[in-house]
Amino acid sequence: MLLPKQMTRVLIVGSRGALKDTIEVLYQLEAAHLIDFSAEEEGFSLGAPLPESSEASQKLLKLRSLEKDMDLDDTEVTGQMSLADIEKDLAGTIATLEAEITGATESKNRISVRINELEAEKAILQNFQALPLDLELYRDYDSLKVFTGKVRGDPSAALKTAAPQSEVFISSNGDFVAAFVAKAQAEEAQKALVQFGFTEVPAPAGTGSPQQLVGKVDEELTALRSSLDEAVKKLEELKDKHSIFVKAADEHLSIIVAKAETPLRVGTTEYTFAMDAWVPTEEMLKVEKAISEKLGGRVHVESLEVMSRREAHGHHEEGHHEAKVEEIPSKTENGRTVRKFEFMARMLSTPKYREIDPAVTMMITIPIFFGLMVGDIGYGIPFMILGLIGLKKCVSDEWRTISTLLFFGGIWATIFGLFMFGEAYGIHFAEQHHDMSWSSLLGVHIPHEIAIGGLEIPLGIYSKLHNVKEILYMTLWIGIAHIFIGFCIGFYNKSIRFGFKHAVIEKVSWLMILVGGALLLLFLVDAMIRGKEVSITDMRILIAAPLLLVGIVMAYKGEGSGAILELPGLMGNIISYTRLAAIGMSKAGLALAFNTIAFEVMWGHDFHVLGSNSGDMVMLIAALGIFLIGHLTIFVLAIISAGLHSLRLHYVEFFMKFYEGGGVEFKPLKVIRRYTTDKNGVSE
Amino acid sequence: MAADAGLIAIGAGIAVGITGLASAWAEKEIGSAAIGAMAENEKLFGKGLILTVIPETIVIFGMVVAILLWLNM
Repeated sequence: MLLPKQMTRVLIVGSRGALKDTIEVLYQLEAAHLIDFSAEEEGFSLGAPLPESSEASQKLLKLRSLEKDMDLDDTEVTGQMSLADIEKDLAGTIATLEAEITGATESKNRISVRINELEAEKAILQNFQALPLDLELYRDYDSLKVFTGKVRGDPSAALKTAAPQSEVFISSNGDFVAAFVAKAQAEEAQKALVQFGFTEVPAPAGTGSPQQLVGKVDEELTALRSSLDEAVKKLEELKDKHSIFVKAADEHLSIIVAKAETPLRVGTTEYTFAMDAWVPTEEMLKVEKAISEKLGGRVHVESLEVMSRREAHGHHEEGHHEAKVEEIPSKTENGRTVRKFEFMARMLSTPKYREIDPAVTMMITIPIFFGLMVGDIGYGIPFMILGLIGLKKCVSDEWRTISTLLFFGGIWATIFGLFMFGEAYGIHFAEQHHDMSWSSLLGVHIPHEIAIGGLEIPLGIYSKLHNVKEILYMTLWIGIAHIFIGFCIGFYNKSIRFGFKHAVIEKVSWLMILVGGALLLLFLVDAMIRGKEVSITDMRILIAAPLLLVGIVMAYKGEGSGAILELPGLMGNIISYTRLAAIGMSKAGLALAFNTIAFEVMWGHDFHVLGSNSGDMVMLIAALGIFLIGHLTIFVLAIISAGLHSLRLHYVEFFMKFYEGGGVEFKPLKVIRRYTTDKNGVSE
Repeated sequence: MAADAGLIAIGAGIAVGITGLASAWAEKEIGSAAIGAMAENEKLFGKGLILTVIPETIVIFGMVVAILLWLNM
């Protein structure tokens, strides 16, 4: 159950004429993960695509270019079409659509190009608008050279000295100049102009005053803009009308092409084909039956090997065997809840065929860690609601994963917040440690514990800021327990892959070191922090010392000197779990700061006296504003820090103990239809 | 006693501050490399994230030391 499904390697051989039907049957079965045929085997060559592939590809190409023209987005297309509707005059419809849409797109593009040209023209004309000259006056002189362009200051004085025979016009704001200079002095004039940062803007063609020309351009622009709007609207209409057809036809043709190109992954001779594939062992019967029934003797299925979990080579040498042995695909079948966590595990790597899928373990501990770090019902309940909404609305894997984390994490945050820390928004329910509390804030008495059916249920055992020592100590033990589980899973993985003996040397050694270390921790805490009298012949030392010693020797024998270097690493891993306390504490500290500003400073609430406050409504509203903004900040930070850190504790500390990953996902030949429905009932 | 408390507080501050800088420095190098790797292959996000947060442990150690110091104040 926790391991990926057992796989059988099968060989499917048959006469070449039956290849198309075989592919069709396999697509319906959705149970065969094809192994790409390597062209090394003698006498075999790669199959050729089925004949329908090229025509479908061409249509597909046209459709894809239409999609690009229409700017189609996957998310905005909903609805389905039946295959019969699509097939009906597919080529004709594509041709009409192409004419319509390409025409609309082209006219739209033409208009926008013209608009751009006109706007550039207008920008130049506007410069000349500032000068009192008609456009024809700027050209056709025999003895004069005309400079027009932008400047950074008034060059008239400098021009007069450089070229006495000249006339200068300058715009009223002083950034555009037209200079008429005798040709003989043109060079000097240019040098003088350059001093003022002159950049030439040639006078545009045309006659008449620039004002009139700008007016004309403006008129044309307005007309063009309205026709652009029309073209865009027409394109939108076309998009609304045809998007579903385009998407559905795209999907339909893609499926045809995928099927038609499957022979490229198959070895063929002149008259036969041979297909190598992985099939889940439990589906073998179904596959054999379907093939023998539907293809009646033309195709034969041979089960080559039921893959065991044991590595082919007994010895544990990474990299050696992997090159030779085909990677076996992992097909994991998780329940609804675990599947929500799969993406988190896959983000790191796909599990190998021969190891436990870590999604299950993540499902349990990730929300608990998240909840422990947040530990506040004021955040826990909103997290739950947010997660629930996300799970209902979101489609993409990433957002669903975040929603899952928030929902389940929120549940634990509420549980921890209610019973362990007894607080909402960083304020305790009942008064403790002389801090602000909801009971003094609201003026009602809230008990420290409630009795349900004779059971005393506490509402807050620890305070995140006052019981730091206890919480830190507790998180160390959470770390030890978590890593212990990790080594146990590692032991199981190793024992199915390399055998019991190997697993003992590699993982039991570390389990012994871990348990020994934990006992030593107990002893050290007594000796150094609690200051108790302890003797060296304490039971814990007597058990821990041999455990540690034997464990280290075994690890050394199993893994070489690297094991010794990993010892401090293991300690670091455990201390790393103190982040569970540290992050909770930092959040509580932030919350305390905001609460103090809001209620004590602004609202004048005295937490020593039940229900006392300044009674000022304005200040109360301001205080609530600060409270809201502050806690929203903490809320958002909590998603990032608590979420990321609980992931990290799994990825780095936990997974390193057992998870190898790097497997291949089981991808059977199958058809996924989103926009098309198959009324003929061929698939399924 | 007040002077002692002050010294302890300074010590705790140094413990968190310097380890924070150390983490930041290490994460900066790893993070930018991870982003670079991700630009080439988006699948590396998970690995990049893990590698980036590994040095975080340094500041957590610093924080634990600071907390222990603070508890002794």
